[in-house]
Amino acid sequence: MDMDNTAVRPALIKGNKSYRQVTDDIAGPSERTPAKWWYAAMTVSTMALLFGLWAMYITVVEGLGTWGLNNSVGWGWDIINFVWWIGIGHAGTAFTIFLIVFRAKWAASINRAAEAMTVFAVMCAALFPALHLGRIWLIFYIMPYPNTRGPLWVNYNSPLFWDVLAITTYLLLSVTLWYFGMVPDLATMRDRAKSKIKKGIYGFFSMGWVGSVQNWVRYEALSKLLGGLAAPLVVSVHTIVAIDFAVSVIPGWHTTILPPYFFVGAIFSGFAMVLTIMILIRKTFALTDFITRSHLDSICRVLIFGSMVIGLAYATELFIAWYSGSEYEFFTFFRSRATGRYSVSFWIMVVCNAIIPQLLWFKKIRASLNWMLVISIIINIGMWYERFVIMISSLAQDYLPSSWVSYSPTIVDIGIYVGTFGIFASGMLMFIRYIPMIAISEVKGLAGEKKDEIKPDTK
Amino acid sequence: MKDKDIIAVFENDLDLVKAIGSLKESSIPVRDAFTPFPVHDVLKMLGRKSRLPYFSVMAGAGSIILVFAFLYYTAVIDYPINYGGKPYFAFPSFVVIIFLLTILITFISTVLVFHFRTGLFPGKEPEIPVPDSSDDRFILTVGVDEGLSGEMRSMAKEILTKSGALEIIETEQ
Repeated sequence: MDMDNTAVRPALIKGNKSYRQVTDDIAGPSERTPAKWWYAAMTVSTMALLFGLWAMYITVVEGLGTWGLNNSVGWGWDIINFVWWIGIGHAGTAFTIFLIVFRAKWAASINRAAEAMTVFAVMCAALFPALHLGRIWLIFYIMPYPNTRGPLWVNYNSPLFWDVLAITTYLLLSVTLWYFGMVPDLATMRDRAKSKIKKGIYGFFSMGWVGSVQNWVRYEALSKLLGGLAAPLVVSVHTIVAIDFAVSVIPGWHTTILPPYFFVGAIFSGFAMVLTIMILIRKTFALTDFITRSHLDSICRVLIFGSMVIGLAYATELFIAWYSGSEYEFFTFFRSRATGRYSVSFWIMVVCNAIIPQLLWFKKIRASLNWMLVISIIINIGMWYERFVIMISSLAQDYLPSSWVSYSPTIVDIGIYVGTFGIFASGMLMFIRYIPMIAISEVKGLAGEKKDEIKPDTK
Repeated sequence: MKDKDIIAVFENDLDLVKAIGSLKESSIPVRDAFTPFPVHDVLKMLGRKSRLPYFSVMAGAGSIILVFAFLYYTAVIDYPINYGGKPYFAFPSFVVIIFLLTILITFISTVLVFHFRTGLFPGKEPEIPVPDSSDDRFILTVGVDEGLSGEMRSMAKEILTKSGALEIIETEQ
């Protein structure tokens, strides 16, 4: 059934706009001088970035001893934050797949910003394992090329190597998808630009796009191919991240539930971040006709689903820990996580991820931007705690009580994490400043096809 | 677009589709259309198809074989190392790497072929007949390389006007 021809779905773009209005509305914010809040936000994120740069400098110059890691807890904040960021990144690609592979047209006006989020989140994520190498200048050792260092080739059986490949591929593919998605819009910006410098820059990146039939035919073929390739890739990325844990013999990690559980968690946290960003963009740029309430409503529905799957995963883990009869699993889940030293983090995780998002069942809450904003932020806090619980509780208290330790991050750990927020926020701010936030050509296509049918949004 | 073409500017995609339909009926050659978004009827009517998917499939199949050969050569033939008693030819591990590298190689080669075939690359100067075709105007160019005959030109102009062209630009014969 073609969803777009039903009379049931509310209009995707409100206000019966002409093509020129669509261009003006979306391209406008990138052409005006930014508001004061933009400079304020940019200052704050640059400061965060500088803090992060200092922490990274210390890490590289003095070594990993400046982090809070110890002999038992070898993976700390670095890997927590790595998994957290890469999870957030997954939502952008999910939107691309909705739009290109499933032809869910409602994703058109969210796609671009979600992809930008993916690109910056994956960049932040990739920083952590790179820094965790300690000697970052030897990062090329991971490349399979003939050399004289003894084992000539890398160990293909190691999920950590798969991870390197997965993240590199994912970063390259998501940057490509994002960039190619904006080429027609950059051409629009080029043709609208008044100043010579802007025309030159937009012109350079728009690759001489003219929108001829040949252009569009090949462009659509390319975007379908890239979207099609991204679909299996995005599922594999977090699966491989989960396998990093699952193939080890640490209690609490050595479970087959981990890959699907990580993947759903990734989509869940990513959608929460998309919701946060979309609410902020909608509010600050008055793009209410393009990012409609029904868009936000759809994201909330995905969040409810994600929350329930996550809740089921938590319950399943606990059940299997008891049912399997493995005393180590039982200790990790019941003594360490649910009631022991890490019980606060554990219950923050459960409440934030599995319980609070259930509020989104209520229509009233889905109608309130403030509620949605708060819940979306709570979900991302909860997802951070999930990774904290998985990582630290399993490592700090494993088989041998004599090697039990406690773990706390140092200022350098915190600095790098804050720094990635700086990268992410300044990247997003640059994006909303210079690039049309919504795919103009996609939205025009919707306006064109639905010209006669556009009805007022009843929500 | 050539100098001898007739260029018509339309206000919306429906008029453009109508014009192409009537031009086709009178068998007047349509060269190209420039639109701010992909108008699928136009793409269909002008009968252009992309062979990019065929290339992509072949690149994918090729890279599966290549990556497998590389892994087999490095891990089994060139320098076999015993990692914890696992077999040299560890097929399940190979599958993951083949999967990832196939996606990587296929997408990079597809993008390169796209650049090569379309001639689009960063820094290229655009050749647009009329500005605004990236905003809210739909452009149609009519003509053949050796130029249209006088009779056909007037017929084409008549059809274009009838279908609601805002403007018809005719360059020197």
